[in-house]
Amino acid sequence: MSDQQPRSQTILVVGGGISGVTAALEAAEAGYETVLLEAGPSLGGRVAQLNRYFPKLCHPTCGLEINYQRIRKNPRVKVFTMAQVDGVSGERGNYSVTVKTSPRYVNANCTACGACAEASETKVADPFDYGLGETTAAHLPHEMAFPMRYVIDPSVIGTPEAQKIKDACKYDAIDLEETEQTFDLQVGAIVWATGWRPYDPANLTNYNHASLPDVVNNVEMERLAAHDGPTGGRITRPSDGTEAKRVAMIQCAGSRDLNHLPYCSRICCLASMKHAAYVREQYADAQVDIYYIDIRAHDKLEAFYNKLKVDPQVSWIKSKPSAIEAGPDGRPVVKGENTITREIYAAPYDLVVLATGMEPSVAGEHLPVNTGQDEYSFVVPAQPAEEGVAAAGVASGPLDVSMSTQSATAAALKAIQAVAGPAR
Amino acid sequence: MTTTSPQATRKYDLGFARWVYENVDGGDRLALCMQCGTCSGSCPVGTQMDYGPRKLFMMIRAGMKDAVLSSNTLWNCVSCYNCVVRCPRQVPVTYILHDLAVVAVREGYKEAVESDNARFSAAFNFSAERYGRTDERIVTGKFYFSEGLSAGFKKGMDNMKIAWNMVKTKRMPLGLPHKIKGKGELKTILDKAREIEERHKGGGKGN
Repeated sequence: MSDQQPRSQTILVVGGGISGVTAALEAAEAGYETVLLEAGPSLGGRVAQLNRYFPKLCHPTCGLEINYQRIRKNPRVKVFTMAQVDGVSGERGNYSVTVKTSPRYVNANCTACGACAEASETKVADPFDYGLGETTAAHLPHEMAFPMRYVIDPSVIGTPEAQKIKDACKYDAIDLEETEQTFDLQVGAIVWATGWRPYDPANLTNYNHASLPDVVNNVEMERLAAHDGPTGGRITRPSDGTEAKRVAMIQCAGSRDLNHLPYCSRICCLASMKHAAYVREQYADAQVDIYYIDIRAHDKLEAFYNKLKVDPQVSWIKSKPSAIEAGPDGRPVVKGENTITREIYAAPYDLVVLATGMEPSVAGEHLPVNTGQDEYSFVVPAQPAEEGVAAAGVASGPLDVSMSTQSATAAALKAIQAVAGPAR
Repeated sequence: MTTTSPQATRKYDLGFARWVYENVDGGDRLALCMQCGTCSGSCPVGTQMDYGPRKLFMMIRAGMKDAVLSSNTLWNCVSCYNCVVRCPRQVPVTYILHDLAVVAVREGYKEAVESDNARFSAAFNFSAERYGRTDERIVTGKFYFSEGLSAGFKKGMDNMKIAWNMVKTKRMPLGLPHKIKGKGELKTILDKAREIEERHKGGGKGN
């Protein structure tokens, strides 16, 4: 009988993005012990990688800083970075979770002084910039990292450079012997908040994202516009670094498409409008064309759409482009049919931004927890319902940041009900 | 369901659209079209079409039967299937255009009946039915003279040089047309096809 067994009231949150952080904090501030797992070296997830975000177009440091303060002040939240769930057994009130950690090679002595990065010579593609820029093998994940601690890329481990990096550290913070480890946790409920990844634009073969350097996707555009990004915040052409003043935004690049993601990813219309605003802010003579099937600016965000609509230097072209190809001068040329005028166009641009949609991070994977997954791998309640597992944020469906935090708060409440409610 | 597609009797009459959804090959997916323009934009001969597939599909919904069935969009499709592989709603654009062309000929639309493609198809079938093969001389002759005696004679003379070169390189024989061996079996196949076609006209999907 399950009500005879000892029950854990600890809540495990898997994923340290805005949803996971929110769910962990909401549960902790309601008085429950929470454990927050993050696979990467820092909390913050995709939000940390944005330049600015809706609804108020704040820099993400703003919202994340507040949340990190809440974590620091709350002894009930335990954070593990570089940690993933390897297996789950048991049931509501009594889950046994195996957690696997990857080596960071930097321990808690780190003061983020940066001496290790100065000693590091090998350059690696910076995952924080989606590979648009490079960083040193020993690096801070990003300037708003939490924990504020360096990480060493495994590619240099075992080389003389690793020893040089270790010798540069004055605080004995570098542990080159660190290995992959596993440990077990006993928890009463699990919040699954593993978020999303951008749909791979390589699948959109007619848009040539891989072969045309000046065709980027929307998450890359955020990095191009971010002050801590590869261009220092200047929106330039990746091919030659010149100013990108003629810019096209391609909506539904892979979304609402039965050959790719059949659903609307919900965020891309507003994200592209935000990108149009970035370009217009930087260059007074910029011209931005937004190619769309139909604009989905939901509820209060319609005000942003209406504001942008009156800008004469932003054009709205009702068309799903059929192809993006290299023009004679190497610039990307967007081709298709304008469905209002029935004109067949071929327009050259400095920069083309594909509004690729969101797919679950766990797309195609079978989850270790007992929960349902819909045909696109979004996490839905198990049938029959498993009360101990709740999904938060984009793991449960395409959501923007504010909807994700609402979803995370709801998931925290479900988890609390699961551990505090009467036994079955 | 009737043999002939219905005319619109009032504004926003969906009768013709529904008939197309139910009777045209691939028509069932046409209802999913969201007018994104990928098909017309992908079309290598899009600039040679009066409407292009996207607009044609909207005209079907608008009940513009006469304009749809006399459109050159049905006939200028080159079956490259660019639109079919790119369509985000998986509408089989090519099948729909080809089957609408058949409907246009069956219902006697002048632009359709007199189109090069319709006359060429008739010439092709003439040879295929009799010999089980397409004999270049019969197909071209039948096609050229379908425009009339003098036009046919002129076209034939214009292409004489090509014809002789084909004969010289043994690409075209001079004797009687070659027949296939199993002509009786071909007749059975074609009779069955006609029977299915009749059933199709009588209502219901003929398969």
